[in-house]
Amino acid sequence: MISNLFIFDSILLLLVTITAITVVQVKDLFASSMLAGLYSLLMALVWTNMHAVDVAFTEAAVGAGISTVLLIGALVFTGRQEKKSDGVKPGALLIVVITGGALLYGTIDMPAFGDPNAPLHTHRGEKLLLQNVGKISLDEKGQRVDHPLYTESYQKEHWDLGDYGSGDEWNELAKSNDFYLHGAPHIPNTVSSLLADYRSFDTMFETAVILTAGVAMLILLRRREEDPEPTMDTADHDTIKGDN
Amino acid sequence: MTNIIMVAGIVLLFAFFLILIRAVKGPTVFDRILAINALGTKTVVLVAVIGFISERADFLDIALLYALMNFIATIAVLKYIELKRLD
Amino acid sequence: MDLAWNDYVTIFLLLFGCFFALTGGIGIIRMPDFYTRIHPAGKSDTLGQFLILTGLAFQLIETEPELDWSYTYSTDPWMCLVRLVLIIMIILFTAPTATHAITKAAQLEGLEPWVAPEEKEEADEEASDAVNSEDDGAQEDSGEESND
Repeated sequence: MISNLFIFDSILLLLVTITAITVVQVKDLFASSMLAGLYSLLMALVWTNMHAVDVAFTEAAVGAGISTVLLIGALVFTGRQEKKSDGVKPGALLIVVITGGALLYGTIDMPAFGDPNAPLHTHRGEKLLLQNVGKISLDEKGQRVDHPLYTESYQKEHWDLGDYGSGDEWNELAKSNDFYLHGAPHIPNTVSSLLADYRSFDTMFETAVILTAGVAMLILLRRREEDPEPTMDTADHDTIKGDN
Repeated sequence: MTNIIMVAGIVLLFAFFLILIRAVKGPTVFDRILAINALGTKTVVLVAVIGFISERADFLDIALLYALMNFIATIAVLKYIELKRLD
Repeated sequence: MDLAWNDYVTIFLLLFGCFFALTGGIGIIRMPDFYTRIHPAGKSDTLGQFLILTGLAFQLIETEPELDWSYTYSTDPWMCLVRLVLIIMIILFTAPTATHAITKAAQLEGLEPWVAPEEKEEADEEASDAVNSEDDGAQEDSGEESND
């Protein structure tokens, strides 16, 4: 049975491949950087399809937004046409093919996508999931309703926690913890809830560090009055004419 | 109902493909910008459609982000073309 | 498969939205130059996306609890409706604005509009007629016949 999202993924990956080949092929660097932004947009769609919401967020904001603007900012200082390359170099091609082959060989051992028995799901992530981060929903009376995956019977049947304690212990811990019942961080995606609930202070101060760094860079790199403004030589870089 | 929405999504992907051809071919720069801008707004709709197919409405947040990012990127590109610089 | 009333509304809107999206795609491929391609990209596409998103919004009405709301960010569909309306408004405002800005940039760059081949010949002939005004009668006649 082919799932709906599998069809979506196949078409999307086809489009990604077309875009990637075009990015390399196009000689106009301006068009190339815009197509690179499109590539990021498509990849973000693929991430969305895999339910990796945070990665999709980052890919959309950084890949399609900021990096396009940065690439175009770099184009201000360079020419718009790509220089003629020397053609294919056999040695470099050989190295690339060998590296690609090794990477592909490495993926053979990986568990299938969404495999519930993958180490990611059976080893450490289980403990995190059992902490009931945002997996609690309240019915109209304010009573807790467990998601079917997190009922005690399911856990006893499927999850052996080994060194980390039994499922019952974790469940008791989660139930006794009023903070998570009424406090109540309620983000359904586990990764997002870790980032936003557990690591919120961490994230906040990371943001402060990045802001400080950005301000420092702005102070260092600001344009002074006597600096000549960089402009493009319009005779060399005609924006109208495409290349193909 | 999910199947019907998926059919709409596949039709959207086909339209996406058509516009992608224009973005790849596009003789002038403006054709490419136009096509990529159109693709950006189509991506917003596609994310919303994927959200409804997989029955998770929190995907609408990403769609919202895309809608804003796409506009910013387009305006930055146009500013570059008009002024030949970005600041 | 039994459908509730909002499903029929959704199907209707999705059908029209897909029609306009496809029309926009074909138009962007088929139109001869940039200035003509603005029309499918700016109008048809925006309308198609508006219709599709509105169609999706009708799915938020819970005639039967098909979507698992308890598993999503907020339990009530109203928040999702607010987001959808925001997306629709943003697209409705920014897409035509962006198209307009692109057109303006193209015009400032001096991109020439496309002229149909016959009209171009005619314009050329008129220009040449203006230069050498003698024995223009025969040329004009032949030009008009070829146009018919």
